[in-house]
Amino acid sequence: MNDTFTERRYDIARLAIPEWLLKVERLGKVYGPYDDEIIASTGSERDTAKSSINGSVVAAWDVSFEVAPGEALGIVGESGSGKTTVLRCLAGDFTPSTGSATIRLGSDDVNIFDVEPAQRRRLRVDTVSVVYQDPSEGLKMNVTAGGNIAEPLTAAGWRNFSKIRARASDLLARTEVPLNRMDDLVRAFSGGMRQRVQIAKALANSPSVVLFDEPTTGLDASVAAGVLDLIRSLLEEHRIAAVVVSHDFSVIEMLTSRCLVMHHGRIVESALTDQLLEDPHHPYTQRLVAAARA
Amino acid sequence: MGYVSARGGLDAIRAAESLVRTKRLVSESNWLEEDQILDKLRLLVDRVMSEAGLWDPRLASKAIRQSEGDATEAVHLLRAYRSTLPRFAYSEAIDADDATVMRRIVPAFQRVPGNQLLGRSVDYTARFLERTGDDDAREEAEKLRAAQTEESRDIEPASEEIAPRRLMELLREMDMLVDRRLEDDPEPFDITRTPARPPAPRSALLSSMARADTGALVNQWYRNILGPDGYLHEVTLGEVRHANMPLNVRHPVTGETVTIMQVRVSEVEAIEDLEGVEEDRSRFDVGYGLCFGHNERKAIAMANLDIACHRDAGRTQLEQSLLLTTDALDSAGFLEHLKLPHYVTFRSMIERKIAVRKARQRRDA
Amino acid sequence: MTLSDLIDRHESGELLDEFAKREIRRATLAAVAIPGYQVPFGSREMPVARGWGSGGLQITLAVTHDDDTVKVIDQGDDDGVNAVNLRRLVTSSTGADETTTASEATVTQSRHRIPEDGLDESSILVLQVPVPEPLRGVERDMRELARMHAEADYSRMWVSLYEDKVRNGVITQTTGYPCLVNERYVVATTPIPRWDIPRLHDAPFLTLFGAGREKRIYAIPPYTIVEPLTFEDVPFEVEDSDGARCSLCGKSESFLVSLPNSTTWLCSDTDWCARQRGSR
Repeated sequence: MNDTFTERRYDIARLAIPEWLLKVERLGKVYGPYDDEIIASTGSERDTAKSSINGSVVAAWDVSFEVAPGEALGIVGESGSGKTTVLRCLAGDFTPSTGSATIRLGSDDVNIFDVEPAQRRRLRVDTVSVVYQDPSEGLKMNVTAGGNIAEPLTAAGWRNFSKIRARASDLLARTEVPLNRMDDLVRAFSGGMRQRVQIAKALANSPSVVLFDEPTTGLDASVAAGVLDLIRSLLEEHRIAAVVVSHDFSVIEMLTSRCLVMHHGRIVESALTDQLLEDPHHPYTQRLVAAARA
Repeated sequence: MGYVSARGGLDAIRAAESLVRTKRLVSESNWLEEDQILDKLRLLVDRVMSEAGLWDPRLASKAIRQSEGDATEAVHLLRAYRSTLPRFAYSEAIDADDATVMRRIVPAFQRVPGNQLLGRSVDYTARFLERTGDDDAREEAEKLRAAQTEESRDIEPASEEIAPRRLMELLREMDMLVDRRLEDDPEPFDITRTPARPPAPRSALLSSMARADTGALVNQWYRNILGPDGYLHEVTLGEVRHANMPLNVRHPVTGETVTIMQVRVSEVEAIEDLEGVEEDRSRFDVGYGLCFGHNERKAIAMANLDIACHRDAGRTQLEQSLLLTTDALDSAGFLEHLKLPHYVTFRSMIERKIAVRKARQRRDA
Repeated sequence: MTLSDLIDRHESGELLDEFAKREIRRATLAAVAIPGYQVPFGSREMPVARGWGSGGLQITLAVTHDDDTVKVIDQGDDDGVNAVNLRRLVTSSTGADETTTASEATVTQSRHRIPEDGLDESSILVLQVPVPEPLRGVERDMRELARMHAEADYSRMWVSLYEDKVRNGVITQTTGYPCLVNERYVVATTPIPRWDIPRLHDAPFLTLFGAGREKRIYAIPPYTIVEPLTFEDVPFEVEDSDGARCSLCGKSESFLVSLPNSTTWLCSDTDWCARQRGSR
């Protein structure tokens, strides 16, 4: 069985576009003290993320992947699998225990785990955007839709009121938020509409990387479908490197071409998304796919 | 020079000053002696010294008399006086175990080494308002004085009573306490020279609370018990003491440590039952409170807030609240500054109200 | 200075001991060196309450000598009761002369106004500051506020201006208008009216801001760039009096305050007004 995985990994490596924009290497996040033995006591094969040796939780370990411009990579797994931990580390919300995440900025490579907090926040303004599952994490509820978009714009130095208005209305139009709602407080918006505003805000400074954390979880099915359509067309329009984290295979299927499966903090399988859905190899993936198809 | 135009304002404040002074000094009753304030209003004197951060009972009595009993005003007089004095020396660190205890209770155990020493406390007296007339009171005082001389007043209390072993020592021996002693021994933060802002060392927090307004501290405590946003554990008190502590300084010439005076303090150690996910459920932690004078209310609130702030670990803005909102002069002064003329700001506000209306008219037109 | 010198000083009726003055001067120098940065200092308690000019008073006492001439105003008025009180404290404690004419003053302490004229390169303006933190309206947590200043992360201020303009059609910030000093730090301009803000820009005089209760000193050195935060296409607006004139001097060129009837206007700077009448 191991051989099959190796073979498939080889396929992926061959298919991967060499010009990566985001490259994550051996990312690990452990809560509590750890050493090799403690790490080895956890993972998919041990069926736990919590070490029986000292109780430390290995939320993510040895996570590596690359994403090219214009590509969307999916990370799928159940809650507690470590997928959101990976995303939060990339977003700068969590500090990883080990590993690197390199973003290619022009001719410079920047390891976002390595930079000063101020520069990391700066990167969040114009290079790496996040769309959270809960819009209240990404938006200020007592600020208008336009004002929420004005925040990253002014942080990037925009100082012209009319131009900020024009940019905000352009973004809201592209995310299909009615323009007559632009000056309403986000608090007054429905869940789906809030998510569209959050996406508009995330795109404000044309970031090169966008991280989506369960972007449609919690929305009604029809609303979710609309938001997914929107994300897909935006990803096609822009040369964004996207990472989409979801427990929901339909989201992964719709948005991504490649994906990783995480289980107890480890990547257990990686493949082209359609291949993975048709022919899952790892028993855990098989279980997930079967559940999704049921 | 336009000085003449300033006369009206000057006359007004001089008149107000004179009225205050005359009404205070010229009245039917006798001049209030300092000794009377020290003796009969001792708890007020203690509170004022504690909130002023200045141990000088005589000066505090003068301040209370001058402020006509307004504790915050008395604190202001003392602190402003203190600002005029150069600081010559810092005292040495005090070992609280060198204190002589006058009152000591340990609610956490029924019997403790050194015993419970109830001392002078109204805790268990029925709160009946005494309506005794002045003459009756004098008569009773005479009787009590006579009885007192007959009793043997000279019995020395046992040494374990005036310097009892702390409950904390016993708990430590039982391995019941988490150990959070610091590796280093940093100089205490001097809040009178450096403004304390979060995140601040514990010594800054403790100094701020030791000097805080009693009511503000009690309110911070209660607000976290019953208020809308806080959550604070009720502690078990391990040690409540009223004691005399020696104050030592290093002699500028000989370099020897000399005891220059005794200060009375209230001291509290509060035992906290740890139940947080990242805490050691098998042990207790301890909060500490200490303030000038006999003011158990303040010391208890302080001890409980100390441990609460440690456990909060910056998750909420409790530390900011304690460091910045509990000083009597800061809050009272800023509140009362609202009485100053504000007609420039108000004029600007009215102007903007009109501007908003004009903008609305333009939009609607 | 010997101990006995220090004690002598105290007995001569000083409000601050010499060490305190030195400390305040050091903080003031730091403030001048980093325009707009709020320098923490060990603010002492003064004979006036916190919020009543205790910060301004400490600076004035620290920078004033017996050969100085001081002017003290409140709302622009030399005759306001608080101005009078502070002036007599300053003059009795320092031995300085007093004046109501800004051009004669070497040190002018003020609450809520900049004198209409007369301040030049030889002048120090000391402004009393109730709330030194310009970002408090958008953030309460002091740890976060410190970070925002350190990183010059002022986007939330801009968002609040954007929201204001969207909601109200104009920027409704009244007094104490936030300004960017030396293209680096945003400061609270005490609550001086917007009328006075343009005069902070490239001013010949040194402005010192003293917040006694919050224990902060900051400064705008002479000839410093001071820009009110506003969008490029939304002009900064000073108070509009709609052509009103002072009912005493008849002028409309100064900052006017009105009586409650809204028809009678007076110059807020009383000394300026008196000089206009004298020269008429």
